[in-house]
Parts: sequence; structure tokens; C-alpha cells
Amino acid sequence: MKRLCLAFIFVFWMNLAASAHAEEQYTFDPAETEKKPYHFGGYVEAKPILFGLDKDASLYKLKFYNRNEGKTVEEYDFKLQLEGSYETDISRIYVKTNTDYKHSYLGDDERSSFYEGYLTLKPSPSLKMNAGKKTFKWGKGYAWNPVAFIDKPKDPDDPELAQEGFIAASADYIKSFDGPLKTISFTPVAFPVYDHINDDFGRNNNLNFAGKLYFLLYDTDIDLIVFTGGSKTTRYGADFSRNITTNLEIHGEYAYIRDYQKNFIDSNGKSYLDEYDAQSYLVGIRYLTEIDTTYIFEYYHNGTGFTKDEMKNYYSFINKGYYSYLNTGSDSLLQKAANLTETNYGRINPMRNYLYLRVSQKEPFDILYLTPAITAIWNVDTSSCSLSPEIVYTRFTNVELRMKAIFLIGGKESEFGEKQNDYRIEFRAGYYF
Amino acid sequence: MLKKIILVSLFIAVTAFPAFALDGAKLLAQVDRNLNPESYEMYRKLINIEPDGRKKEFTLFSIKKGQDKIAALFLAPASDKGRSTLRLGDNMWLFIPNVGKPIRITSLQSVVGGVFNNADIMNLDYSAEYNVERISDDAGNYLLLLKAKTKTVAYDRLKMWVDKSRKLPTKIECLTEANMLIKTLYFKDHKDFGGGIVRPAVIETDSPLYKGYKSVMIFAKIKKRTFKDEVFTLTFMPNLESLR
Repeated sequence: MKRLCLAFIFVFWMNLAASAHAEEQYTFDPAETEKKPYHFGGYVEAKPILFGLDKDASLYKLKFYNRNEGKTVEEYDFKLQLEGSYETDISRIYVKTNTDYKHSYLGDDERSSFYEGYLTLKPSPSLKMNAGKKTFKWGKGYAWNPVAFIDKPKDPDDPELAQEGFIAASADYIKSFDGPLKTISFTPVAFPVYDHINDDFGRNNNLNFAGKLYFLLYDTDIDLIVFTGGSKTTRYGADFSRNITTNLEIHGEYAYIRDYQKNFIDSNGKSYLDEYDAQSYLVGIRYLTEIDTTYIFEYYHNGTGFTKDEMKNYYSFINKGYYSYLNTGSDSLLQKAANLTETNYGRINPMRNYLYLRVSQKEPFDILYLTPAITAIWNVDTSSCSLSPEIVYTRFTNVELRMKAIFLIGGKESEFGEKQNDYRIEFRAGYYF
Repeated sequence: MLKKIILVSLFIAVTAFPAFALDGAKLLAQVDRNLNPESYEMYRKLINIEPDGRKKEFTLFSIKKGQDKIAALFLAPASDKGRSTLRLGDNMWLFIPNVGKPIRITSLQSVVGGVFNNADIMNLDYSAEYNVERISDDAGNYLLLLKAKTKTVAYDRLKMWVDKSRKLPTKIECLTEANMLIKTLYFKDHKDFGGGIVRPAVIETDSPLYKGYKSVMIFAKIKKRTFKDEVFTLTFMPNLESLR
């Protein structure tokens, strides 16, 4: 595997060297602008990762209770995404596939899936209809989107990562006006959940409906959102975004989820169900300074999240299971905890209150295409955080290089302190074609 | 005697400096129309050139309607293909296919890196954003001193040199409120694009903030075209390709 990785990096750098020394004159041949009815492209990525393990953490005990992999583990990830489209008259077919190949201490793993695949009909600029698998990406938040009712949750560590969509039928109707109300658009969505159709979304055998009403009113983007059906409880959402000045943007989201059911356990693993109307919200800003430093700051309240005591009980149960395993050799409690982690507690940012800050500096010291950044995600409830410095370099056409480290900081029974790693260092080389 | 002196002085002033008698707003509007039709489609290539001569290129398809609506779609390179930008007055958005939704951007950011910022790439008519404060004569060109109409405009002041015969800009200096030079745009290589559009086919820019770096905008096709207002909306951003 290391040889494969080295070979990839060698070919990659040879490609870079060739492009870096190309000194041809710039030209603009009108043929470059000719439109073809079809398009084929893709993205390939190699990502070696080094994890520094935290042997005292609860999630380390849950995962490594019966094995010793040392202080660090390595992982080699490869990704291939292919996309193609064909367009005739008012119709367009678009397909995007994703293949992840992972080589780690657990062996080799390969997963392929259709991320998106849908047909679009566009009889006029005002009306568009889609049917198939697609992402919707509702909401204005950068790191979190509490109103994204029909999308998979995104990873705040990598919010711009491509995601897998859901199968749905939708339409967009747009109307423009003069005056303070410039645009209205309406997006109704029919969202089926049956065997083999979106069956990881919620309760099966339901046809759900969602809708988004968008306004551009007084230079402010406003969305009103609703989801209803039997697969999840009815929920309502609203969001907004507005430029205050040439370098300052503010945004926010609010979600009201009726009859939300939260499953949680006590420290002995006994399950409880709490049903309540949950409210989640987010407020944020994006600010650009005169020296091209961008600040993205967000506060997120997750009304569906676990409280500090609920998470404390979860960690206590894992530790109970771990010591039970050490004393009896039985891992039944740990298996139960692993199952709970996968279905409930293991979701991204599972607690109530978070702060997000990302500071990126465009092209420091006049080095074009270099963007260093640092991202902090702070769990307000447990005073723990992840801190991620990174450098992105995009000098070479179609190539993106990123070096990133993530340090997890926190004490006992805190979200980031109980994760299985102390740190993670990764290098990502991506090539678009 | 005093009246005679004043009258003679006025006569000399009017005859010797006819430029002063020009209507600045009209001239600026004329410059706008000579640069582009009010509504159009256009293909452009942006090239960022580093001090050692290395280059990075972007190809864009752009559309504009009226005074305040402009959108652009990235056709190349592959890493940027499918990205689109939209400007409605002071509002700007960027759509990245992977991100899947438009995000608000600001005029001083740059979606392509290099010396051009978003305001340069999605520039509206100059007369929509600036008032003419003063016109003077400078080495055979008109020199227009422009002042931004609002605080939301990317550059507070512009010094625009306009070719007297063509009524087209030859050079523009972009300045802050404190008269600090941010960048200079050079308009070059006049070309007949057809349909009565004769304008510079190349805009070069450099900046004291990016010493040694240069960015170039090359225009390949510009033609008059009208669009429905609905194509200049967030909802339509992922579909700009269908307009080509």
C-alpha cells in the first residue's frame, strides 16, 4: 500500500513539474468556448493520514479494547469521483459517482455509490423540474445547517465536501420583480422513504413532502422551509443571509422540530425516551479584513443534542463495559455501546452548544494561491475543542494540495477529550479532470 | 473695465478648455455603452501571471442585463468548471457545485485569486456606481475623476483616462477614499466584435499590493442578448450552462 501511495505521489509530482515548466503564451481560441451536449469529468484524491491515539479516552476503549495498535495508526484513503451529463433542448441528465478506498489497520475497504443521478426538465427560465437522486443543501450556515431537513448532515471539519443525495422529485418556480422584493422562488419536494429508497432517512413506507419558499427582499436572502410526512416528525425552518457592507455578511437559521424523540441511556445502559418540541438555531458572520483575512464565526444551538449529563452517562457506560471486559472477558456491554454510538451518540457534534471560528489568510506574503487557515470548533457545554491548522495550495491548474492537522483538546467526559484520537495529521492531493 | 476683464476671462476659459463644458455623466454613460451593450453575453479568459511568468487561466461565460444584473459561469479549468457567480446590485453570490448552494461573497474578495477581485470580474456599468466629480484634459485623453455613489462600491475613487475619439477608457486607477492606489487597469487591443461593438479586447491589471504579479482579461465574443429576469436569481445559478 505504501508503494502504491508513493507511486501516486511520484506521478502526481511529475505532472506538477511538467505543468510548472510549461511556458506557452496565453491565447484565447474561440473553439474553447464551444458547447458540447455532453460533459465528462471527475476528481481523484490520495490522502495519507496519521492518527495519534488517546488511550485514556472512552471512544478509544470502545474501539480498541481488544487490540493494541501502538500510539499511532496510519490510514491511506483514495477517492475517485466521476461525473457526466447529457443535455438536449429542455432536458439534462446528470450522474455523479463516488468510490472510497481505505487501507487501515482494519484492512482494506472499498465503497462505491451514486452520489447523484437525476433528470432535469427546464421548459422555461422560470420553471425547472428534477427527478432522481440529488442533494438539496438548504440553509445558510457554513459549518452546520439545522434547516437542511432533507440532506445528510455535513462535517464541520470539511463543510465543502461533496455529499450523497436522496431520491426525490422536486420543482423550482422562480419569479422576479422590480422593487424591494426582487425574487420569489418556490421549491416543492416529494420525498419517498421505502425499502431501498432513502431507507436510511427515517421510518419506512412513507411519502413525505418538503418545501422551500425563497425571497430576496431588501437585499436579504430569506428562506421559509417545511418538512412533513411519516418518516420524521414535522419540522419548520427559516434562514436569512445579508451583506451588511462590502466585507461583512451575516446569516442565521432557525428550526422548530415537533415531537422530537430522543433516545438516551443512563450510566448502566438503561434506555430512556424523551419527546419534546426541539428548537435549533445558528447565527454567524463572514468578515473580510483589508489584508484579505477572512473570519467565519458561528454559534450553533442544537436542540436535538444531548446534554452534558446525558453524554457523561454514555461515557460512563462505555467505561463500565471496558472494565467489565477486562474483568470478565465479556464485551457484551461494549457491543451495546458500539451499537448506540453508531445509531445515536456517534453523530457529528452530538451535543447542544457549539462555537465555530475559521480564520483564513489569502495569499500571505504575496504568495499567490496559498491559503493558510486555522479552524476551531468549541463545545460550549464541555469546554473542549478541536483546533485545525491547514495550508491549501492551488497554484497548479486542476490540482489542490492540502496539509492539515486536527488537535482534539478536552478533559475527561468532554466531547473532544473523549474521542479516540489526540491528533490527526493528513495530506490531501486532489486532481480534477 | 472690470466687467471686460471678467468677460474676456470667461471667453478664454470656455474656448481654451472645451472639455470642461462636457457633461460628465453623459460621457461616462457613453463610455459604458461603448464598452458593452446594456444587455449581453460574453466569453472571457482571466489569466493570472506570476513574476516568474507562470500562469493560471480561467474561462468564463458571462451574461448581463440592465444596470445591476450580471452572472458568470466558469467553463475551465476542470477544478472550477460549473462554479457560477451572480451579482444583483450590491449583492453577490458564489455557487460551487460541491457545496451545492449559493453563498454570499463580497466585492473585495476574489473567486479566482490574483489581482482581479469580484468587483472587477462582475463589474456593472461605471455610471451605475460612480458620479463624475471632475473632467480635465490629459495628454490627449479626457481624465475623469469618479467618486463612488455609495460606501458599498469596491473602490471609492477612480481616475479614468478616456480616448477622446473612441470614447473608450485607456487606463483606470482604482483608489481608496484616502487616494491610495489599489490597482491600475490598462485597456488594450481594440477589436471589432461585430454588431457595432468595437472595444478593447484585453484588460491588464497590476497592483502595488501584488508587486510583480499581473492579471489579464481577454474577451473573445461579446454580443447583444436579452434575458428574462429569472435567470439572474439564486435558484437559477446551477443552470447557467443551459443559456449557452
